[in-house]
Amino acid sequence: MKHKKNMPGDVILLLLMLATIVIFVIPLYLAVLTAFKSKPELSRSVLALPEGLYLENFREGMRRSDFFHSLRNSVLVTFPSVILIVLCASMSGYSVARHAQKTAALQLLDKVYLASLMIPFQILMIPVYRIYKALNLLNSLPGMVLMLTGTSIAYASFLYVGFVKSIPREIEESAYMDGCSEMKTFWIITFPLLKPVSATVAALHVMWLWNDFNISIILLQKEMVRTITVKQFYFFGQYTAEYGLAFAAAIVSMIPVIVCFAFMQKYIVNGIAAGAVKS
Amino acid sequence: MYFPMKKKLTKYLFVLPGFCFFAFAMLIPFVMGINIAFTDWDGVAASYQYVGLKNFMDIFRDARIRTPFFNTLEFALIGTVVGNVVSLYLAMLINSKFEKLNHISRTVFFIPVCFSSVLTAFLWKFLYREFISDLFGTKNLLGNPFWVIPAIVVIGVWNGAGINMLIYLSGLKNIPLELYEASKVDGANAFQQFTRVTLPLLMPAFSVCVTLTLTSWLKEFATTLSATGGGPGGASRTVSIYVYENLYKYYKAGYGQAVSFLFSLCLIVIGLCVSSFFRKREVEL
Repeated sequence: MKHKKNMPGDVILLLLMLATIVIFVIPLYLAVLTAFKSKPELSRSVLALPEGLYLENFREGMRRSDFFHSLRNSVLVTFPSVILIVLCASMSGYSVARHAQKTAALQLLDKVYLASLMIPFQILMIPVYRIYKALNLLNSLPGMVLMLTGTSIAYASFLYVGFVKSIPREIEESAYMDGCSEMKTFWIITFPLLKPVSATVAALHVMWLWNDFNISIILLQKEMVRTITVKQFYFFGQYTAEYGLAFAAAIVSMIPVIVCFAFMQKYIVNGIAAGAVKS
Repeated sequence: MYFPMKKKLTKYLFVLPGFCFFAFAMLIPFVMGINIAFTDWDGVAASYQYVGLKNFMDIFRDARIRTPFFNTLEFALIGTVVGNVVSLYLAMLINSKFEKLNHISRTVFFIPVCFSSVLTAFLWKFLYREFISDLFGTKNLLGNPFWVIPAIVVIGVWNGAGINMLIYLSGLKNIPLELYEASKVDGANAFQQFTRVTLPLLMPAFSVCVTLTLTSWLKEFATTLSATGGGPGGASRTVSIYVYENLYKYYKAGYGQAVSFLFSLCLIVIGLCVSSFFRKREVEL
């Protein structure tokens, strides 16, 4: 980017940036600090640095929250759902973006998806519980995948529709000319062009589904199938006074998502930088 | 065009898999829920009776629903404005010229999104109690009926601003630099560039972000429930929490379902209006 030198403006901008970073980091900083403090240390001061690396919180926290078992459940629920969401929503978003103007049914679908984004989950809680009980899908991880995918399709499609509209049709049309079917054209030509938005959709849903609370709390009740978030809910309820222990467990549970984001972030940035959106 | 018949079917085939998931998880339960709204079901018993429109009439006589109703509006108003201003501000900061800082700050602003609302609420409860109250010499803001809603909005914005920031950021990056150069040649200052170039071209991002923040604040549930449980004295109880309480606390599933049905209807109307308001203002490049 070319900018003229503008010293006072630059300084103000830099200060704003640093101040904003500090405001965002403080809560995390205090959480990490707290996780390394023993209980008496914490009661003396919240802000002081820990006297040493008190790792007992982590060991105890991971043991009591049965970390590796719930980690496995979270992985088995999150990743299959995200793959299904990207595949189904990209196709759906593509079709709506390209054909809705001339197809009443697709226009309706777009509106229904949009409307469904506004529905509060509580309206579905009881009916979903009843359906799952009848189908014997309660406390089943595949059943959970089904629900997570179904509730995420609408938003993911919504994101794809906007993106597909900004991709010129000419590329696809030249593929039709060469005798490619629409389905084949989509997977060979369009889907790769959707990579930036697919990365965004995947990254966002990894976070959301990993952190899902509303659905997990009603579908996954048995100890065996609890995901990390559900586990945490009960865990925080039990250890409200033991901040150190609770934060240690929380920090460990967030490592997989943060690692995953660090990895996905590159794709989001590259996708945007590649300029696939510009016509 | 080239395969008229085949193409006609293909476009439906494209949406079919997604729609099946959607129908199973949302459409069918939604329709089943409507049925429940016309009954006196308590949420536990095997049997229930149809009571016609009684549940819906009760909503208008229910004095207890008024506070949650106005609380929800307050959440929506403050949350949408603050949320979008903060996200756009963050995106513009990152889109500025400090190449090295930008990478770090984007990660920093996005990291809170990785935290579940349960965890975030727990973290901020700790902050409000042990840190912020000492810092400003106030009592715990979450215990103050006047400040509790703004205080929860702060939690929600810290937790969620990163997502809209990314959407705004990709919108900002898609604005061709030539437009800024051209407007500069025409003599526009920074403020005019912002209002005449940046904002109009960001309309697609606005239509996504405003619609989503507004509706998500209108149905605010998890953060508030974990942070205050609706307290103090109902000062932060939202309609969603009220519905939830009807189902699980007062054993009035039928009535709760009626409230949430009417409430969803309002949400959908509001959401569609806002979204079409912004979509009409989108400009094509």
